[in-house]
Amino acid sequence: MAPKSNSSKASPKSSAPNGTPAKKTTVQSTPKKPPYPSYDYTSTGVRDTNILNLSSNDWQIVGAITIIALFVRLFRIYQPSSVVFDEVHFGGFASKYIKGKFFMDVHPPLAKMLITLAGWLAGFDGDFDFKDIGKDYMEPGVPYVAMRLLPAICGVLAVPTMFLTLKASGCKTFTSAMGAGLVVFENGLVTQSRLILLDSPLVIFTALTALSWVSFTNQHELGPKAAFRPAWWFWLAATGVGLGATASVKWVGLFTIAWVGSLTALQLWVLLGDTRNVTARIWFKHLFARIFCLIVIPIMFYMAMFAIHFLCLVNPGDGDGFMSSEFQSTLNSKGMADVPADVAFGSRISLRHHNTQGGYLHSHTHMYPTGSKQQQITLYPHKDENNVWLVENQTQPLDLTVDPTGNTSVPGPMAWDTITPENVLDGSLIRLYHITSDRRLHSHDVRPPVTEAEWQNEVSAYGYQGFEGDANDLFRIEIVKSMSDGKVAKERLRTIQTKFKLVHVMTGCVLFSHKVKLPDWGFEQQEVTCARGGTLPNSVWYVESNQHPQLQEDAEKVNYRDPGFFGKFWELQKVMWTTNAGLVESHAWDSRPPSWPVLRRGINFWGKDNRQIYLIGNPLIWWSSTAAIGLYLVFKALAVLRWQRNCDDYSYDTFKRFDYEVGQTVLGWAFHYFPFFLMQRQLFLHHYFPALFFAIMALCQTWDFVTNRVGSFGGFVPGVKDKPAVGMVGGTVFLAASIVVFGLYAPLAYGNMWTKNECKRVKLLETWDWDCNTFHDNYAQYSLLTPSAGSGAAAQTSPAAQGGPAPPVADDPKADVHVTPQHQQPYISDDAAHAGISGMEDGFVEEKVEYRDEEGNLLDEEQVRALEEEGGISFSTKYETRTRLVDQYGNEVFEEEEEESRAGDAGVAGTSIKGVDPETADARGEADASAVPPNAAVGEDVRKERSLEANAEGTAEPESEVGKETGRDEL
Amino acid sequence: MAAQDVSATGTDLQGDARKRNVGQPNGSYVPKEAGDKMDEKTKQKTNSFLATLDDYEFLIAPLIFTALAFFTRMWKIGLSPIVTWDEAHFGKFGSHYLKREFYFDVHPPLGKMLVGLSGYLAGYNGSFEFKSGETYPEELNYTYMRLFNSAFGALCIPLAYFTAKELHFKRPTVWLVTCMVLFENSYTTISRFILLDSMLLFFTVSTVFCWSKFHNWRHDPFSPEWGLWLVMTGFSIGCVCSVKWVGFFVTALVGLYTIEDLWNKFGDLKMPKVELAAHVGFRAFGFIVIPLIVYTASFWVHFMILENSGPGDAQMSSLFQANLRGTEVGKDSPLEIALGSRATLKNMGYGGGLLHSHVQTYPEGSQQQQITCYHHKDANNDWFFYPNRHQPEFDAEAPLQFIGNGDTIRLIHAQTGRNLHSHQVAAPVSKADHEVSCYGNTTVGDTKDHWQVEVVSDAASNDYSKVRTLTTAFRLKHVDLNCYLRAGNVNLPQWGFKQIETTCVKENKPRDPYTHWNVESHWNERLPASDPGSYKSPFFRDFVHLNVAMMTSNNALVPDPDKQDDLASKPWQWPLLHVGLRMCGWDDHIVKYFLLGNPAVYWGTTFSLVFFVGMLAWYAIRWQRGYDELTWGQVDHFHYSGIYPVMGWALHYLPFVAMARVTYVHHYYPALYFAILCSGFILDWYTRSLHKGVQWGIFSVFYAVVIGLFWLFRAICFGMEGSNQQWKHLKWFDTWRIAD
Repeated sequence: MAPKSNSSKASPKSSAPNGTPAKKTTVQSTPKKPPYPSYDYTSTGVRDTNILNLSSNDWQIVGAITIIALFVRLFRIYQPSSVVFDEVHFGGFASKYIKGKFFMDVHPPLAKMLITLAGWLAGFDGDFDFKDIGKDYMEPGVPYVAMRLLPAICGVLAVPTMFLTLKASGCKTFTSAMGAGLVVFENGLVTQSRLILLDSPLVIFTALTALSWVSFTNQHELGPKAAFRPAWWFWLAATGVGLGATASVKWVGLFTIAWVGSLTALQLWVLLGDTRNVTARIWFKHLFARIFCLIVIPIMFYMAMFAIHFLCLVNPGDGDGFMSSEFQSTLNSKGMADVPADVAFGSRISLRHHNTQGGYLHSHTHMYPTGSKQQQITLYPHKDENNVWLVENQTQPLDLTVDPTGNTSVPGPMAWDTITPENVLDGSLIRLYHITSDRRLHSHDVRPPVTEAEWQNEVSAYGYQGFEGDANDLFRIEIVKSMSDGKVAKERLRTIQTKFKLVHVMTGCVLFSHKVKLPDWGFEQQEVTCARGGTLPNSVWYVESNQHPQLQEDAEKVNYRDPGFFGKFWELQKVMWTTNAGLVESHAWDSRPPSWPVLRRGINFWGKDNRQIYLIGNPLIWWSSTAAIGLYLVFKALAVLRWQRNCDDYSYDTFKRFDYEVGQTVLGWAFHYFPFFLMQRQLFLHHYFPALFFAIMALCQTWDFVTNRVGSFGGFVPGVKDKPAVGMVGGTVFLAASIVVFGLYAPLAYGNMWTKNECKRVKLLETWDWDCNTFHDNYAQYSLLTPSAGSGAAAQTSPAAQGGPAPPVADDPKADVHVTPQHQQPYISDDAAHAGISGMEDGFVEEKVEYRDEEGNLLDEEQVRALEEEGGISFSTKYETRTRLVDQYGNEVFEEEEEESRAGDAGVAGTSIKGVDPETADARGEADASAVPPNAAVGEDVRKERSLEANAEGTAEPESEVGKETGRDEL
Repeated sequence: MAAQDVSATGTDLQGDARKRNVGQPNGSYVPKEAGDKMDEKTKQKTNSFLATLDDYEFLIAPLIFTALAFFTRMWKIGLSPIVTWDEAHFGKFGSHYLKREFYFDVHPPLGKMLVGLSGYLAGYNGSFEFKSGETYPEELNYTYMRLFNSAFGALCIPLAYFTAKELHFKRPTVWLVTCMVLFENSYTTISRFILLDSMLLFFTVSTVFCWSKFHNWRHDPFSPEWGLWLVMTGFSIGCVCSVKWVGFFVTALVGLYTIEDLWNKFGDLKMPKVELAAHVGFRAFGFIVIPLIVYTASFWVHFMILENSGPGDAQMSSLFQANLRGTEVGKDSPLEIALGSRATLKNMGYGGGLLHSHVQTYPEGSQQQQITCYHHKDANNDWFFYPNRHQPEFDAEAPLQFIGNGDTIRLIHAQTGRNLHSHQVAAPVSKADHEVSCYGNTTVGDTKDHWQVEVVSDAASNDYSKVRTLTTAFRLKHVDLNCYLRAGNVNLPQWGFKQIETTCVKENKPRDPYTHWNVESHWNERLPASDPGSYKSPFFRDFVHLNVAMMTSNNALVPDPDKQDDLASKPWQWPLLHVGLRMCGWDDHIVKYFLLGNPAVYWGTTFSLVFFVGMLAWYAIRWQRGYDELTWGQVDHFHYSGIYPVMGWALHYLPFVAMARVTYVHHYYPALYFAILCSGFILDWYTRSLHKGVQWGIFSVFYAVVIGLFWLFRAICFGMEGSNQQWKHLKWFDTWRIAD
């Protein structure tokens, strides 16, 4: 097909006298007009290679190689008996599937569900958390071998698939066997397929798609007589299923779709030009057959995988934080009872931020350490009584029954409890009263604690019991009509349905929140500010819970809308996309695409007990496959140049077939390689594996052409197609050499014993950065030592797997409750607050510990004790103690100080280019002071340095976890 | 034949006439204008006045259009006496040229130098700060400066007229294309202020014009006219790229044309190889060498003018700074560094800062004191060169010991007394590198405080045995870990005050400038003061340095995702005319300008682009299906007058879609010009063979719509005085914020 479209492009010259085309593909009516296509779309030089008709001899060879592959892939698969690299993630996902806890991952679910299935069948109960690399499997009895078997079997299957694909593309049996052999002994593929990772399933599905597509292409090229026959339909449908499966493992499958899609477009274009056989009706039949098989089938398959995914994950889990409230309300126990629709003055409401999943507007009895030093306002993701606000009117209500003249108003926030509820309308001025701390939502011209932007103000809780409030407590409701649901909800405040902005009346700024975490003193909750000119989505809030004493039982109720499967599916896709694009943090073992084809660097997967697993390819196979790609590109460049100079290469069938067949494979390689250049996210060597599979195919096809099909090379060098022995001997030697190289690097793949010397001997490149010093000097030393148990794990781990907005779900499912001790601390005087944090650490008094479960409910001592006896609970401290200021002193004092210090900063800010360094401001006057450096106190430094030396760098580290990313600020 | 009686003014159809004599089947297309003209001449003898008008249309029409252009661009240009929109930037840069102070900006200098020139001609002394929204002082003749700018905008119109002619459009189409450029509200508005966009547009339009001229001379290669237009195209490319980097897109268009042209010549077996080589050589000279010369020359003049120290110093190398007048850098510094010297270390990477430390610690990793790179000059950048821990303690009385290539030293932070240190801990952002921290004190510490000086080059001498202030470039190699101190272009998060991350990189890349350091300031009481800045920084090094720094800053212009930016817009909004832009405050007493296009032009051209893709698909499918309809001539016309403008549009539009930086409506203006040409092509294609009366009838409607809408929206270009409610009727959509 490619040569055909080429020759049709060449048409102006094909009528030139020096060319003697084998088959004329264009005609020209008059010299004034360009020639137009006229041909039969059947390709010359193509025979039916349908592998469904493979000879039994070939099947025996396939069987033999597969058995070898089984041995190579499954050899000591139990080794190592601890968590390796991304098993941290994918093993962990299996646990979550079994528990049904919702999680978020950037990859679609198919391979993870298969791994789970394998684990489940082997009796895995999901009680292991796969938390850190090096964590022991044996002690908790995790059926990790069964789980590893799934990727391993996928890896084994890739071997016969390579054989069959090469057969289908017209290669000789020997070449096909050689190709399969190369897949068997590719170190990288071996390493990757022996562990609980997604790349092995990805490679096999990509390979099966390639097999189906190559077979279909063969059927298509046989011409009209083969079209729409059962074999044609079978391979077309199989391609579709393959595409669906590949895309359901990782989104890399989209590259496979692009490969098949572009070749399909080419096929259809060629069909369009065949006016002899293809009528409009037949052309559309071709078109719709492809649309059905290559678009409809994959989409159905992909969506079906997500349907199963949603069926499995019915409980809340640590992925909730990524999803919308509507989505979350479909999970068990996250759904909520219907809430009264109308919000009135005096209602107790909780406010939720619309755009981020930071949660509810929250305040707790802890102060900002900076700015006004008033009480913190944050977003907190869990239901808690500290999220409850009482809606007050601008003025207190008048009670005419007490005083008919209307001169006295009823004081206090509860004043509205006794009168008929009055709805809050668009434009109403309200005050929000925080019931548990008796303070009101407040804002003023002070910079927020983290985002020190000029256009944002701090939001705090201010006041005390009985305080009447001040003008800075007033907020105006502005309903965002375009986002509110229903006519009534656009006019007055309705629970859930109304989306609104809260405009601070005095300064005109709008209550705002964004994905910025407060530091430790704010318990890593999300920052809330008041912004002038913030983006609209981040300024929108809505009421989630609503309660009013005067509201009747039969009042109108509302609840979240059920998003339905499609709503959930689409939302999840969007979240996966943005999360994936956000994985940009650099990683100790990442690498960029240019380094892959030359195998510049690998990945450290695991290291323990003087053994190591390091992902590195078989350099011989790797480099020769890259060379094959390079060879084809050179060939193609020359071919195009010669074509433009009217050389008649394309009239030779072998030339044309080489260009098309290898070209198709190289295109597959290109589609699985070049898009990575556009990606900003962290990339690893294993992202090259699908491309590597195509590169090995290209290598074997080139080999087949050179040894079996080319008659002579440009008329100078005679071909060897009449001497099959030459090709066979050469191929055998190459394969044997590959096996030897495989053996040299095998200890890194299997985590076997090795010696320093052997390790250093095979380290060809400086950049292959596995650590030879890990290994012993000789094998004898290994037998002297017993492998350490899981206790050694701590030293190998990184803190990467922690953090994130994940709700504190209990680690132990038996007691699905999370107990939060809450320290309370008495008031501390002003001076102590000024003394700073160091003073505070000493003066820390633990007065009271509160226990709360994950819902924020207070537990009494007896309940806690009962839970303790049940076992399996975990305690975590949620709120540490900081200073608390006595509000009556007013904030004027601090605002003055604030202004002074800001004035000091401003002097530097004017001249600096990057951010202002506060330390710099202080140090400026001393520029010429010292001729010798001061002598610093270093006790702390030395301690830190020692603790570092204990943890050597260069240990294995899993890929960045998605949960971590949402925790980071707006990168 | 017409070939005899046409002159070489470039306004005629000579190119086409000559084409006739060439016997090649490919490109022998002759549009019918020439023939038509002949016919008309003979036919219309009866009405001699009209005939004369007709004959001299090539002169009269452009004159009228140009006059109108100058009127629309300059009328009431001084109405608003306040600094409007980006005048705040470009006026300020102009002032820097007048004061000859070195400044730094993301755009190349040509346009801003022209602004400076206009200020010079207006007698302005450069003292005004150009603060946004401020009223111009009495002595500053801002009207003159604006007039200078608007002339560039006005000159686009005759060029558009002649370009349309060169693309072989018929007369009504030529007029329509000119009208669409002339009566385009956004073009009018943007040309009336002290901005770079009018110049950018002018040079873009002139490049397209020169290219079309060159293309039409293709049948007479190596003739003087062919050579002239080749050189003119190259010159124009050089100018457009020297105004804004957006010019590279039109360069790409000419580049693609040249590649295609040479590829076809390569396929022409009859062409002698020498001739082919000559074609390649001439184009390489015209389209590569000449633009490079123009571009480089603009920087050369830039450096010539800006000889005083100014706000942009820190972006340049230490040596460059030392050569500026009025700088502190390199003044009275001792020449050679000895143990005990106090010095600041400058990173020699593009836009590199000074090695810096402060008492704040890393929040993760070692949690020791931070090391960063920072442009701001203060005492926290000072370091002492001290002997390593194997050597005896530093003795201030001992004989001076100079530092040279291969010496192992310690660097002690002057303010905190800690040592520059690195260890096997992943750096905070670039995880693959080692972290660099500040550790210990003069007595406490270990060998991980040791750094070996590796001199890379010395601009002043071949003697590497001593490190010299300013001129010596050296690397600092960590002795224990074998890594090199590096400050790339990665900024730390807020905890590091967004300063540049400094790491120790494992790879040994001797040519990586981000690992190169030099001593910028140097104090040592025991050494005589000297003038190390006497050595001149080579021009080409400064040129490359500045360009890379510009590129880095340009990529860093990323919008704050939290901030609602009413001025910025997304590329998808531009072709749909979804938003406009308020160029100034919207108070009643301010003369208000609103940057919004002519709806007919925007929507019409956007539709034409979609339609063109449909046309392309239609003809391609019909051809593949064996419909034998278009002649070579028509294919050629379609190719050069249709596909190339559309390609120009795509090249000027799509890159903005991919760009992460903040984008504004005026980024679409060059692309709009190509869209206008495309719409002209389509109308021309379908009306060519119609009866003259019908043709003029159709086009009259288009003229009326374009001019009518321009008239309707005239106030947003010429200034809106008084309450904005007067123009409420122009607020067709909520996003057109003409009235509140």
